[in-house]
Amino acid sequence: MFWHNFKYTAKTLLGDKMLIFWTFAFPVILGAFFYMAFSDIEDSEKLHVIDIAVVENTGFRESEMWKESLEVLSDEASGEQVFCTKYVSEEEAKRLLSEKEIAGYFMLADGEPQVTVASDGINETVLKYVVEEIYQTEEIVRNTAERRIQQGEMPTAEFYEQLSKEVMNLVDSENGGIRDISGANLSYTMIEFYTLIAMTCLYGGILGMVAVNQNLANMSSKGKRVSVSPVGKSRMILSSVLAGYVIQMVGVALLFAFTIFVLHVDYGNHLPLIVLLALCGGLAGLSVGIAIAVLVKSGDNVKTGIVISVTMAGCFLSGMMGITMKYLVDKNIPLLNLLNPANMITDGLYALYYYDTFDRYWQNAASLLVFAFSMILFSVLGLRRQKYDSI
Amino acid sequence: MQNVIEVRNLTKEYKAVKAVDDLSFEVQEGEILGLLGPNGSGKSTTMNCILSLLNFGSGSIRIFGSEMRPDAYEIKRKIGVVFQDVAVFEELTVYENIDYFCGLYIRDKAIRKQYIEEAIALVGLEEYKKFRPRQLSGGLLRRLNIACGIAHKPKLIFLDEPTVAVDPQSRNNILDGIMTLRNQGATIVYTTHYMEEVEIICDRVIILDKGKILADGTCDSLKKLARIEEKVTVETNALAKECLEEIRQLAHVDGAAYDGQSLSVAYRQGKNNLIELMEFLKKRNISYSKIYSERPTLNDVFLELTGKELRD
Repeated sequence: MFWHNFKYTAKTLLGDKMLIFWTFAFPVILGAFFYMAFSDIEDSEKLHVIDIAVVENTGFRESEMWKESLEVLSDEASGEQVFCTKYVSEEEAKRLLSEKEIAGYFMLADGEPQVTVASDGINETVLKYVVEEIYQTEEIVRNTAERRIQQGEMPTAEFYEQLSKEVMNLVDSENGGIRDISGANLSYTMIEFYTLIAMTCLYGGILGMVAVNQNLANMSSKGKRVSVSPVGKSRMILSSVLAGYVIQMVGVALLFAFTIFVLHVDYGNHLPLIVLLALCGGLAGLSVGIAIAVLVKSGDNVKTGIVISVTMAGCFLSGMMGITMKYLVDKNIPLLNLLNPANMITDGLYALYYYDTFDRYWQNAASLLVFAFSMILFSVLGLRRQKYDSI
Repeated sequence: MQNVIEVRNLTKEYKAVKAVDDLSFEVQEGEILGLLGPNGSGKSTTMNCILSLLNFGSGSIRIFGSEMRPDAYEIKRKIGVVFQDVAVFEELTVYENIDYFCGLYIRDKAIRKQYIEEAIALVGLEEYKKFRPRQLSGGLLRRLNIACGIAHKPKLIFLDEPTVAVDPQSRNNILDGIMTLRNQGATIVYTTHYMEEVEIICDRVIILDKGKILADGTCDSLKKLARIEEKVTVETNALAKECLEEIRQLAHVDGAAYDGQSLSVAYRQGKNNLIELMEFLKKRNISYSKIYSERPTLNDVFLELTGKELRD
């Protein structure tokens, strides 16, 4: 009976054009749209090499760390060049800045780094940020080395190796575990694809809603017929919902296949974890549909509208139409993000890129499961009713 | 004959309205019971209470000797239901729809296949097996609705207004099918507001109004409840007011009404009422296009019991 109902529920869901559109076609169409729209923006927003000047005074010449750091960042052959650096006198640097040939210049005065810029812009901000980072790292290196030498250690090769490890750990902890993503391809397009995955997962709610409606006597005439059959309601609903979940996952798989093989989106090394999060997200989406099916006393079209609205609102708040929204909600109404399954999905995916540890990823995956089971539990209370006051 | 259904003191209220009011009746094995009443009389509500779909305030319901409950799966296995609304999947073919619902009762695929073929033959859908519901006419859709409800060969069948809005051909097919099911041993509860259907197929009729039983018996016994014995109708547009009064004074006449085109005369009893009326019209030189006599119908019984028409 379980698989008989599973087979026919899957057949009815796959035969419903509206469901097919929202589950399979819409995410793929939207994905193609994002790809076309955002790849152009991304190209225009790429960081270009910044022209800067370095005042080559005595202080600078004596600082191996500053010299080496700026040489590395200005190395054209490295493929990761950030600056195009001119080594000049202070007067020449001022002249270049006034003639707007450089974004700013760097000078070491009494061991302290100074950055002079003419205006506020992206290039100027990058220069300031990089200099600040180098300065902080130098401080950490110096303090750590001094401490260890004071403790009686000798500056051997082993000493420098351990020092290097310790400094790297300290830098990581100061950044709260955030790793350098300059080499990773997290971009506008990727952010949009994350929200697209979230949206596809949550659209499974429509499948869950229809699957449950088919079994409720107070929701559909077919539900009445199923209710008078000699099969338990829980078994019928479980097999129907499972059919909906499988179809939903096929939709998610289709989206992954389309984005990977057609749009050549690179999900990096964490594809299995992304898929796992999509499985959890799909369950959360399905649970929203089940809850709406049980709690809202309206026709299929109204319920579908509610599921779509809830999904779109969730995706909007999690940054689908602009990542700023996600940060705004995080800052002003953090509770909303904690309850928003779309945010749990996108946040879990961001965490894979932003953090070296998987703590935040697993936290989001667990939150999705807790959300899903809470919604299902809530729905079960409504589904337990065997008879109705009116149908 | 044993009772298949026993309903005792069933009461169902929707807020202040009593939809079913202290209803008691039973249905015997092999019987076709007609639940007759106008829209809103409580027919469908009674059926839904019996099927354990609806909560009810008080009373008891026993089917096949056991109390009916939502989880009484052994009882449900023997029941087939055809609801008033067509309950089929648009995405499945005729065959698949019947297979789906039949599969909820019958596990064995070979037996199921045989039952489905028999159900399709019963409702005359052999040529439409691969059609989807949207490709069927209203009448064929109703037939599919019936096939989905009875394919598993239930011993007790509930048919809730199965002929609403169908063409005469489909109606005859459906009624023939119901008679066949009865002949195969099924007990049938048939709700409708079409008295003609009840007179054709039902062994016993319960007339319901406002959730109460107004009358219970065979068609013939119910008709005897009517005060009139014969009804004569004359199609004429030339009847004066004085003549209508004279007709009302004729022997055995219970009442007479004229709407400008049709004269209706009800007789309490008597023989040759038609001939006597024709002679009266001839003497008064009143011309008419048609004249015919009828026995009282269930509608007349209902009219007398409630003061309103069945289809009001």
